[in-house]
Amino acid sequence: MLVGITYDLGSYVSENWEFLLRGLGRTLLVSAIAIGGALVIGAVLGAARAHRVPVISQLASAYVELIRNTPILVQIFFLYFALPQPIGPWPGVRLDVFTVAWLAVMIWGGAFNTENFRAGFEAVPWRFREGALALGFGRVATFLNVTLPIGGRIALPSSINTYIAVLKNTALLYVISYEELTTSALQVNALTLETAETFTVLGAVYLALVWSLSAGIRGLEGRLALPESR
Amino acid sequence: MVRLEDVRKSFGDNVVLNGIDLSVAPGEVLVVIGASGSGKSTLLRCINLLEPLDSGRIFIEGEEVTRKGVNVSALRQRIGIVFQQFNLFPHLKAIDNLTLATRRIRKAPRAQAEVRAHELLARVGLAEKAHQYPHQLSGGQQQRVAIARALMMEPHVMLFDEVTSALDPELVGEVLVVMRDLARSGMTMLVVTHEMQFAREVGDRVVFMDGGRIVEEGPPVEVLDNPREERTRRFLRRTLQLEHSLEELTVTEEGVTE
Repeated sequence: MLVGITYDLGSYVSENWEFLLRGLGRTLLVSAIAIGGALVIGAVLGAARAHRVPVISQLASAYVELIRNTPILVQIFFLYFALPQPIGPWPGVRLDVFTVAWLAVMIWGGAFNTENFRAGFEAVPWRFREGALALGFGRVATFLNVTLPIGGRIALPSSINTYIAVLKNTALLYVISYEELTTSALQVNALTLETAETFTVLGAVYLALVWSLSAGIRGLEGRLALPESR
Repeated sequence: MVRLEDVRKSFGDNVVLNGIDLSVAPGEVLVVIGASGSGKSTLLRCINLLEPLDSGRIFIEGEEVTRKGVNVSALRQRIGIVFQQFNLFPHLKAIDNLTLATRRIRKAPRAQAEVRAHELLARVGLAEKAHQYPHQLSGGQQQRVAIARALMMEPHVMLFDEVTSALDPELVGEVLVVMRDLARSGMTMLVVTHEMQFAREVGDRVVFMDGGRIVEEGPPVEVLDNPREERTRRFLRRTLQLEHSLEELTVTEEGVTE
């Protein structure tokens, strides 16, 4: 019997699950680092943008424009292949594939999250900040106690979309052969030629993964949302 | 307690405060009346430095607060302000709205801050509402929470910026009663309001402002019932309007005329 003519999901999974699971583990690890990093980058640079902190605000703006206006595939290639090249004063820096993997998706997510948080912070009505200033809070304390908790909640729905996109973007790490889920699945496919099974399983796993992530964060959103919008 | 010397403030070409001299004695309730745009709110906002002055000086308890290098945060803790729109923090329960500033600025332990917060909520008649969020409260209740929140910092002066203007008519009374009780407790108060009954019953002195200047000041009975200045009379006629039927009035660019 020829290999690959029969569609047998059960034996595909039972033969390859361990290998695919390792890939899934790397997908989760890289996503978790990148989402955590994007959260911090977004909150810090979003605050700098919203409050027009000199220098940092302009640098953040340049960063956001650079990332939003280039394909993430080019960004991944750039970090992996261009960064190690010494050019002029640049000595060339070679990063290992794991570092490029999380860094690339984190930088991408951080740029989009900067815009999410900037919009959230700017949407906080002035009167709440004025209320805090009048009680004696300084500017930084007003940000931490009022603008951050209120604006962060306003930014939550759009930042969820960014986190989901970060997770899905990890599939592109295939191009630098980082052995996350998609790369692992393609390796299985190359060995077994069970193409239909490979992409059925791959699609199903991503579906389950993204769906649980968004359900999880939406649950969190429900608890964190401003009381009047619950 | 509070003294203003030749305070001036413009927004662009618009002169909002055109040389204000004013002083408020300890325990005094000073009521500021005047048409919208006469500079009343700006005056209050200048006193706690939410609005910078163009020129002039402001003294709080003898200390000049308009000089360079003044500790703005420490100053604002001595001056409570209540706003027209309440400005309660929407993500915090009433009790946490009260305790946030003492816990974070003065590092008061939560338990201690909450004891005092419960006392103040009881004082404004909201002992049962400590664990409600602002949106679960009526406008009058929110404003009373805002008054209690300002009192948490143990201010020496309280500023009230048209605190009943955003309320439905039936909710105005509960806020004015809380303010009356506060006045009776000896608090020094500067009250910008359109509530003439409050000015008459609670005010020690009334100031009428027009065009960024103080036009007339004196005891409520004089200013409200027997004003010397024509501009004061015109303003009071327009606000009170009671002797006219709507039938007799027409509307012009200036507002309502007979």
